[in-house]
Amino acid sequence: MAEDKGGPFKLEVRGLSKRYQIPVIEALNLGIRPGEFVCLLGPNGCGKTTFLRILAGLEQPDTGEILIDGESVDLTVSSHHRIGVVFQEPRLLPWRTAMSNIVLCLAALGIHGKEARERAQHYLSLVGLRGFENYYPNRLSGGMQQRVSIARALAVEPDVLLMDEPFSALDPESRQILQDEVVKVWRTTGKTIIFVTHSLEEATYIGTRIVLFSARPARIRGSWELDGSSDRVALREELGQLLAQEVRQQQALMAQTQV
Amino acid sequence: MRAERLAKTTAAVQRQRAGEALSRVAMRLHLPTLVALAIIVVVWITLSRRFGDYVLPPPGRVLDGLRDLVVTGEVWEHVAASLYRISLGFGAAVVVSLLLGFLVARSPLLSVAVKDITTVLNSTSVFVWIVLALIWFGLTDRGPMFTTFMITIPIMLSNVIEGIENVDRRLLEVAKVYRFNELARFAHITIPSIVPYIVAGMKVGFALGLRVSVVAEIFGVTTGIGYMMNFNRDILRTDLVFAWAIVLIIVMLVMDKLVFESVSRWVQRWR
Ligand SMILES: Nc1ncnc2c1ncn2[C@@H]1O[C@H](COP(=O)(O)OP(=O)(O)OP(=O)(O)O)[C@@H](O)[C@H]1O
Ligand SMILES: [Mg+2]
Repeated sequence: MAEDKGGPFKLEVRGLSKRYQIPVIEALNLGIRPGEFVCLLGPNGCGKTTFLRILAGLEQPDTGEILIDGESVDLTVSSHHRIGVVFQEPRLLPWRTAMSNIVLCLAALGIHGKEARERAQHYLSLVGLRGFENYYPNRLSGGMQQRVSIARALAVEPDVLLMDEPFSALDPESRQILQDEVVKVWRTTGKTIIFVTHSLEEATYIGTRIVLFSARPARIRGSWELDGSSDRVALREELGQLLAQEVRQQQALMAQTQV
Repeated sequence: MRAERLAKTTAAVQRQRAGEALSRVAMRLHLPTLVALAIIVVVWITLSRRFGDYVLPPPGRVLDGLRDLVVTGEVWEHVAASLYRISLGFGAAVVVSLLLGFLVARSPLLSVAVKDITTVLNSTSVFVWIVLALIWFGLTDRGPMFTTFMITIPIMLSNVIEGIENVDRRLLEVAKVYRFNELARFAHITIPSIVPYIVAGMKVGFALGLRVSVVAEIFGVTTGIGYMMNFNRDILRTDLVFAWAIVLIIVMLVMDKLVFESVSRWVQRWR
């Protein structure tokens, strides 16, 4: 198990808390270095999506601080910091083609015309969608739609790319292919990525680091660095046991709240 | 023997298939409606013999009248006048309801007020607006326009608001993540999302607008389908009253089937 190595961090979270009716995230600290591919694991309902939604600027945290490149930011208001998000569903505008979905997001950043089209084209090619630029989302398969969603997130050239179980709705084959694609994209772009998943296989296969969330309220249960020499089988074993523990605890918690 | 039986069954199947195909064609051609129409025409002729031309002119005379309207070109002038008034009145209602929709999308408080006003407008009689239009605008074009506007705006408004309330929140989150400004969000997410509601509102609203503005044309103006119907009633030409009524129905059908259906198909071509 490795602690956060010292900065400089691309993204740092300090003392982050969020509660709805119940505390969901409590005093969470996490630092992520530039170019890390972090896979986030944790039991159902522990607060992973909530964490990502806060980072995406969709929810306001109750307490805590978020720093990008060492600078404290409020992500819920428009700022010059850009976050790319790939949701569980593709969330494309169905009335716009793959290309114009991306061009629209670039227009919001003040990038127009030829430059925007070329950039959209570049990222669509990067995710393997050359030739499908003018397809409406309805005419693309689920996996292809998710690729457009990834291209869109990359096209805004985000500081951090957030992915919340992006492949969980796909069939195993597309899932496998897209995992490889994402690793390839990460290698070519060097993006900092946070990737939520429920699959230990997926996490140990694609990530450079694994962060395990505890049962609710979410804290960091542990963090593991991965490189070429890591024993993935043993790690999977260890993570599996820890995760099972947290899941049991989460279930006990659920039973409690129901009473 | 066996072959014979087989041949027989095949023949039966073929006959059955032919029967089905025939009934499909009959449906396609609205044959049942045509039969009903024929019955109505027969009853019409019988009754018109009994009551005379003034009360109920026979279909032949109505058709003659209709043909004259088309041949002399009279029909176009008045259809155009009516359509012009409806288009302006109804067009204003569409634009105003979209503008209000934009404001309502921003403020839930405003939404309550607009909904209440819509309810009040919805339960106001057409005649109130016609009378007020006479007082305010006198004998001008603007009377029927105003009436159309006041009658169609609650329909458009309630459709637009319902559409806005049903916009997919997940797409609005995409707009937030990618930093769309309010105008971009409204233009690229809200408006396309509510197109089905707008089209539905336009169909109902236009149909109502046509009926209402024709009534409003009885007062004040000297052109339009409504004016011509009333004028022909005055000069005892009931056959032409019927002819204009048919013109009205045809205009309605053409707008609905050709204009609105194709507009709606075009704006939703991505489906
Ligand atoms: N808008 C909300 N209002 C109230 N409670 C919420 C809201 N969003 C999330 N929660 C609660 O916060 C907790 C964490 O939810 P979250 O979706 O973050 O979990 P998760 O880790 O993503 O779960 P999963 O693995 O199933 O995706 C849950 O108990 C959930 O009920
Ligand atoms: Mg989740």
